[in-house]
Amino acid sequence: MDCPTCEVMVDAYVDGELSATQSAEFEQALVLCPGCRRRLDAARELSGLLRSLPPEPVPDLLRARIERDLRAIVGPPRQRLRLSAMAASLIVALGIGWLGGSLLSQGSRQADELLAGYLRVAMSDHGVEVASSDRHTVKPWFAGRIDYAPPVHDLTAEGFPLLGGRVDLIDGRKAAVLVYRRNQHRVALTLWPASSTGNSEPSVAERDGFALVNWRHAGFDLHAVADLSPADMKSFAGAVNRAIDADR
Amino acid sequence: MDGMSDGPKPDGNTAERFRAVVLPHLDAAYGFARWLTRDPMTAQDVAQEAMLRALRYFHAFRGGEARPWLLRIVRNTWIDLRSRNGSTDRPIEEAENRPADGPDPEQSALAADRRRQVAAALAALPAEVREILVLREIEDLSYKHIAAVLDLPIGTVMSRLARAREKLAAELGDRLGRRDHGLPDL
Repeated sequence: MDCPTCEVMVDAYVDGELSATQSAEFEQALVLCPGCRRRLDAARELSGLLRSLPPEPVPDLLRARIERDLRAIVGPPRQRLRLSAMAASLIVALGIGWLGGSLLSQGSRQADELLAGYLRVAMSDHGVEVASSDRHTVKPWFAGRIDYAPPVHDLTAEGFPLLGGRVDLIDGRKAAVLVYRRNQHRVALTLWPASSTGNSEPSVAERDGFALVNWRHAGFDLHAVADLSPADMKSFAGAVNRAIDADR
Repeated sequence: MDGMSDGPKPDGNTAERFRAVVLPHLDAAYGFARWLTRDPMTAQDVAQEAMLRALRYFHAFRGGEARPWLLRIVRNTWIDLRSRNGSTDRPIEEAENRPADGPDPEQSALAADRRRQVAAALAALPAEVREILVLREIEDLSYKHIAAVLDLPIGTVMSRLARAREKLAAELGDRLGRRDHGLPDL
């Protein structure tokens, strides 16, 4: 182990930090030095072990939080989503409000998860897991994936063509998400069996430039998210209600 | 948040550049924050605040490698957060022993178990040891970039890295039993 020549070079050699000449010198010295040979093997094995650790995927919620920060400060990316003028004007005020308070209450956590789900739908070309405008394709797709049968309707006649569906995790529970289109905008409708009885009127809230509308109808809690104006969101909720009622 | 007072408010062009240059390194930022904080929720807070800071300082970014630049901001954010909360590194026992949860693509249970042991050994090391190993082996940064992230001379990076490897080998040896896992003596 008494080796002043190669001992100090083992790490740099493993890390690829030696020049070609230095590497050649090191390899020559190594032949005569079993101690450094062992050091080299150990360093390589350790490096291999650390590199075998699986990477940590970035949580969707973190992506959504950062995306909203960016939008709050500089607006949405170009050519991808065009916010309505009204929503755009609200971004600044709400964005700053959101930056100010970082601790999430239960309700706003749910809203965060709904928004995260919406951003997945809106920002990606693979936002839907079943892509179809045919309710007879989309509705059966949920069977076996979630533990209830969501009402599925194409709303093309009302100006909201059905694009498809997906399953998201909201409050730790799997929920059906139906994706609709309004011009270039997408609307994500998340719904699950209502926890209480009776219907409630759609109430629109703004969050970081996005509109969230919550209501209860025909035994379902419904939550829609989009970068649309509150008026559009109300007409969407109305269209959903009418389609459900027509089906009963 | 103390506003955007450190520089000009980013305009549309800056934002597009930021999205193209910095945002793709969010995975690295979050991964590094996970190892620094050893807690998924705190890591999200650190990564989020680091991204905001990065946007604020982006006007001063003069090209070059964005990843080490961002990782340095992540580290500084974490240091600030720790001193703000008045907490130091959590003791080993409280540290999450299995940062790598979830489905394991590797079929071999033995290999999976060994990875857990490696992750636990790394998580148990002091922050100063942990961070340099993560930067070198997991983020695959060169000595030059590690020096930039940690704000150290390259010579110090080399000596600290060598010591960090010895510490990890010892920690791992304690966990696996030096003879069993085939790690030669150092």
